[in-house]
Amino acid sequence: MKINSIAETALSQMLSAGFDEVQVTASITEQDELNIAHNEASLLRSTEDYSLSLLGIVDGRKATTAVTDLESDAVAESIKQLYERAQLAPQDDANRVSADQTGHFEQGPLQCDLSLLTAKVKELLEYRQNETPLMNIDEGGGSHARSQEVLLTSRGSRITSDIGCYEMMVMGTATEGDQSSSFNYTGGTTNHLSGTHAAELFGIGTLLEETQRQIHTRSFEDKFQGSIILAPTAVMDLLDWLLGQIGDGALISNSSLFADQVGNVIASPELSIRSRFDGPGRAAYTADGFVAPPLGLVQAGKLTTLTPSYYGSRKTGINHRPCASGWMIDPGETALADMISDIKKGAMVNRLSMGSPGPNGDFSGVIKNSFMIENGQLTDALSETMIAGNMAVMLRDISRISSEHLDLGSQDFPWLTIDNLHFS
Amino acid sequence: MNTLKTPAGVDYSEARQHEVRKTRMVMMDGNLTANTQTVEGGSSARVLNNGYWGFASIPAVDNASTEKVAKKAKENAEAMGGFGARNKLEIPSDSYQGEHGFNGKPPMGQKECVDLLAELNSLCEKKYPELRSSIFMFQEESHAKRYATSNGSLGLNSIHRATCYLFLIAEDQHGQPVELMQAISGKGNLNDLNLTLSGLEAELEELHGHLQAKRFAVPARGGEQAVVISPELAGMLAHEAMGHPCEADLVLGGAVTGNLVGKPVASELITMVDFAHSYRGEELMIPVYADDEGTESRDVVMIDSGIMKDFMTSRETAAKLGIASSGNARAYGFNDEPLVRMRNTAILPGTSKLEDMIAGIEDGYYLMKTGNGQADSTTEFMFGIDLAYEIKNGKLGNAVSDTTVSGTAINMLKTVDAVSDDMYWECNGYCGKKQPMVVSTGGPAIRGRVHLGGQ
Repeated sequence: MKINSIAETALSQMLSAGFDEVQVTASITEQDELNIAHNEASLLRSTEDYSLSLLGIVDGRKATTAVTDLESDAVAESIKQLYERAQLAPQDDANRVSADQTGHFEQGPLQCDLSLLTAKVKELLEYRQNETPLMNIDEGGGSHARSQEVLLTSRGSRITSDIGCYEMMVMGTATEGDQSSSFNYTGGTTNHLSGTHAAELFGIGTLLEETQRQIHTRSFEDKFQGSIILAPTAVMDLLDWLLGQIGDGALISNSSLFADQVGNVIASPELSIRSRFDGPGRAAYTADGFVAPPLGLVQAGKLTTLTPSYYGSRKTGINHRPCASGWMIDPGETALADMISDIKKGAMVNRLSMGSPGPNGDFSGVIKNSFMIENGQLTDALSETMIAGNMAVMLRDISRISSEHLDLGSQDFPWLTIDNLHFS
Repeated sequence: MNTLKTPAGVDYSEARQHEVRKTRMVMMDGNLTANTQTVEGGSSARVLNNGYWGFASIPAVDNASTEKVAKKAKENAEAMGGFGARNKLEIPSDSYQGEHGFNGKPPMGQKECVDLLAELNSLCEKKYPELRSSIFMFQEESHAKRYATSNGSLGLNSIHRATCYLFLIAEDQHGQPVELMQAISGKGNLNDLNLTLSGLEAELEELHGHLQAKRFAVPARGGEQAVVISPELAGMLAHEAMGHPCEADLVLGGAVTGNLVGKPVASELITMVDFAHSYRGEELMIPVYADDEGTESRDVVMIDSGIMKDFMTSRETAAKLGIASSGNARAYGFNDEPLVRMRNTAILPGTSKLEDMIAGIEDGYYLMKTGNGQADSTTEFMFGIDLAYEIKNGKLGNAVSDTTVSGTAINMLKTVDAVSDDMYWECNGYCGKKQPMVVSTGGPAIRGRVHLGGQ
């Protein structure tokens, strides 16, 4: 499969069809995935996927399509239909494709070492059996993926990538007699699968051990206002909300709380959020064809930029700052043990189960796979406990950041102490 | 599509050719921010041999490609031998042959869709000028799956669904954004939803009325509360709270439901079923006549008058639990292996009237809309609540700010003391479990006690 020639041919065909501007993305992904089901190796899944995504603009009118049938007749028919659909779309001066963006991104193991993957899954299964026998791995395993992509625009952008990485994941519950824990999960991506025991990757061993301690639970007996330590596995919920607030949807619909907050303090001065656009399995460019340089999104609590897409920027007049995926939070200077000992009554929150926070940031959610903190000590696992607060306020109420951090590949976060949450 | 050939010389095998078509159009404040159609299709094969599975897929359906994936799937099952010799897994061998398509209305044209979206935008600008934003989304999704299995199953399954989303964003009394969403979903394409400007105007008027109430919402009181759960929400409760823990793979993984068969888990008023394709003689929104393992799909009664009865299974999980396969093994895309998934999951209606159920609460809440929900192996559930009202002395009061409801289903369902006589089905959104999946949920209103998030 020659994705370069497929992309170039499609770009040429689209311009011949009458489009003023076009973007073409051709990709091929090969994946091998070793699956665990109920504590046993179960399935080897190999997939070969290719895709051609086309974006065409004519007279300011835009339409997009994506197809997996790359035969020339099928592509020609897709372009014909795309042109017809674009002509019927409303005119929008904000529609443009990227110009003069170039780059090649390559990282990670490009070939799957199936014997290495098999060895790691065996390690994981043996660890579970020997060290955490009450834990059932319902789903999980290891995989390798290689994705090659070519992105071209009619305004001279040409971005290519060839990215390989390994991934390991576990999900399951611990049981004892007729008692079960809540299900729990973790996983991540890496370029270097060998040399580290499977249980030491992405906090997998810790999760298996902690889940065993979550079979028997207790609830707080009263409502109170207290502190939580948000574990790295739950930090992404907070970050996802912030990213939603500074992206296209909230900015175009004028519902962002941060639209006029660039340069202002929006979070604790302890907090600095930086991009990890080059994390394992990632490439530092955007789907709309822009190379994404490293970004310090929040620096000592100050928001440095909003992140609209090129379309969102042209629509709202907000500066364009290309933003790919993958994030990290700078570790702090406090040991996690000291953060725990500072809390009189609260919880170590490993997972937040909640609906989408309201547009004003208000939320309430069930804390799962979590432990009580009483008088500076981690005590029993929690059940049926909810916390309520506001995401924007939580960003400001971060009082401690741990020196320890958990590297999940494309995300690398420490533990955060956040005060003033309502428990019920 | 070409002739399907299942890999030979193995204990069991299946072959599938699967095409997924999607359309998505989003108009945000008059801007068409998404206008896309996708077509993804291909071939896959799955093999069970000597106790291990192998799977392979490719986005093509020609003979060479189907032979390639059959060979690769067989090789993959053999490669799993590296984990050690294993006994042959005996799985149910029943088979099904049949073709099930869908004959709906002709699809809406692109111009019709764009014009209707623009008209909705103009309508909101004119009638509700105080809104910060109005967003409208049209989505269509269709699946055509042709399958064959080594034990003689052969057929075609089709699923078509469409959804129209209406979002309105206003400012609350403190100048903060507040939003509400209404989804109109059904079987077929957008034309089958019978979308008209006047019909949607009525939907918008009702949604706008709730949004106005929500602008002045009061916070929910945290803790256990008496509630009436609307039919829309009860379907989600059925799916999340008891549906997932009754999936056989979760039962095998230690879900608490595994020890509860034959025991009371709910009020006698509660009967909960995962329907295969029909309810009261009418085809449902996600009709599954045979699953992707070629098993004829049957209804699964999970709770019968409060008693835990049965689980949803694939061939493998049925064999491991020693029960019949139910035809719940479904794959989302051509490159996905079948997993145990729900189809049309519902709590069945009772005999009470919704207005009487509200009137019977002195101090509580009417929970109307949910954005999402999550389940657990313990039957502990969570839903985000986007729209709710206080109930004071049997009457609806103030709207309530966004909150979350949680509980343990096997406790909460025992508190149910009334089930309404109406029934509401919907099929928007996705169920998530390694792969996404299209499902429908249904239910009447129910009254019970749950835990509300709040201060």
